[in-house]
Amino acid sequence: MASTVDIASSFIEGAPPGELADVVADVKTLTSNGADIIPSLAPAFERYNETQLATVKLPGASQEVLISEYNKLDGNRYFDVESQTSFEVDHVTQEASAAQSYVLDSQNADLIKSLLKSLGAHAREHYPNCAYGVYPIENDSAVAILLVSNRYSPNNFWNGRFRATYQFPVSEPTTVTGKIQVDVHYYEDGNVALNTNKPLNLSVSSLSAESIISRIATAERDYQEDLNRAFVQMAEGAFKGLRRQLPITRQKVEWEKVGGYRLGQDISGGKGR
Amino acid sequence: MADAQFDSALDLLRRLNPRDTKKNLQAITSIVPDLTEDLLSSVDQPLEIRRCSKTKRDYLLCDYNRDGDSYRSPWSNEFDPPLDDGTVPSERVRKLEVAANEAFDVYRELYYEGGVGSVYFWDLDDGFAGVILLKKGVTPGAKSSGEWDSIHVFEATDRARMSHYKLTSTVILHLANETESLGEMDLSGNMTRQVEVDLPVESDASHVANVGRLVEDMELKMRNLLQEVYFGKAKDVVGELRSLASLSEASKERATQREMIMSMHR
Repeated sequence: MASTVDIASSFIEGAPPGELADVVADVKTLTSNGADIIPSLAPAFERYNETQLATVKLPGASQEVLISEYNKLDGNRYFDVESQTSFEVDHVTQEASAAQSYVLDSQNADLIKSLLKSLGAHAREHYPNCAYGVYPIENDSAVAILLVSNRYSPNNFWNGRFRATYQFPVSEPTTVTGKIQVDVHYYEDGNVALNTNKPLNLSVSSLSAESIISRIATAERDYQEDLNRAFVQMAEGAFKGLRRQLPITRQKVEWEKVGGYRLGQDISGGKGR
Repeated sequence: MADAQFDSALDLLRRLNPRDTKKNLQAITSIVPDLTEDLLSSVDQPLEIRRCSKTKRDYLLCDYNRDGDSYRSPWSNEFDPPLDDGTVPSERVRKLEVAANEAFDVYRELYYEGGVGSVYFWDLDDGFAGVILLKKGVTPGAKSSGEWDSIHVFEATDRARMSHYKLTSTVILHLANETESLGEMDLSGNMTRQVEVDLPVESDASHVANVGRLVEDMELKMRNLLQEVYFGKAKDVVGELRSLASLSEASKERATQREMIMSMHR
């Protein structure tokens, strides 16, 4: 049987976009009979933050940067290329501290900086509220491109997250592999979740920032159009096949006839016997 | 403390992925076993189907036709596995239950064109109560599926020539699709609504018609609501996360519009 820590960890990692603090509060109450469980959930918070591309505000700045397995340094430190900063993250509170100057040490530094510039322009055109990053990975032989866009509207009982994760080997031509994940939660008088995962495999002939970001931008646009079509298809297909809006006669059930006729025999008739 | 833990459990189940409600419910009750009974009776889960050994007809399982580890078939009124002293409705309420099962069978065929339905009634001190269950699954494609579970719980309290009905309805709707261009898409969840109303009752037959109309109106309302949330709201939120149109073009257009309005007011 799973331990309390395992179960609580799975709840933390299952928190929907923007609702980690609510899930933590519930976990605390449910485990309040024992010792404070939160410290033993540290690995779960870290996994949640890195896979969900959690955003933190740099100390003294308004700008948000994301954290992931790709921009991780030792301990709980992460770095951001654009602001040339490294910082420590408290995974439970999602707060950054102890910022230091950080200079990117990579033979692909120029490519990474150009990618950041192109990605920034693309992000401003399509993501009203997002954070992004480009990092050297795999011993500087490849590059990771990450983008996360969050919109939280708890007063209207909905939250959403769009994540895009790409990587490609530094070679020409190259292939960008990655995935787009969209999570939407709606919870007014219910609990409705949209979860998507779209794997991507994009060939790019030239190793320039413009061609790579342009290829990614096209793939993201195509995916959003596919997803929009899928909503319509689901509504017209599976949803309609489950329950009709009205019977084929376009008339509501005549309950007096359906139930009443038989009731007349079964109950009123039965009483007279 | 127990109340706070119960509220937290419900809040948590409202937040975690609705696909995993069954698993998460088990996980919560393994941490706080005292909550098991209350949670099982207040958290709706997808309904399971069982075949009635006597009538060879399918029926649905829920907490309301359960006694220990046995479930009562609405068709035979018998428990499976058999129980000598299983709780069954009084004779009058069982007659109503039989009539309601027949009526909702017609309803199910008209609206669901298939699926499985079951109605269970039980006695109350000042009336009776019941649950109407409907379930349907479809697989329009190899990797595309849909599942609908309706759970309508009501209480009918006797008043002079009237009855007071309180109906709580939950629909659990799972939809999934997977294609090469789309990848995986899962749209799942549940929504709950309540209604209370006083309706005239001439005889026991009125109860079946009253409950029937209440459930029919509620399902129409909920179907529209689900359609709005699943295919409207969810899609709108995706549009809030990512704008298909260029944001700078959109803000330029807004600025031009503002200028036009300003110039008209000048």
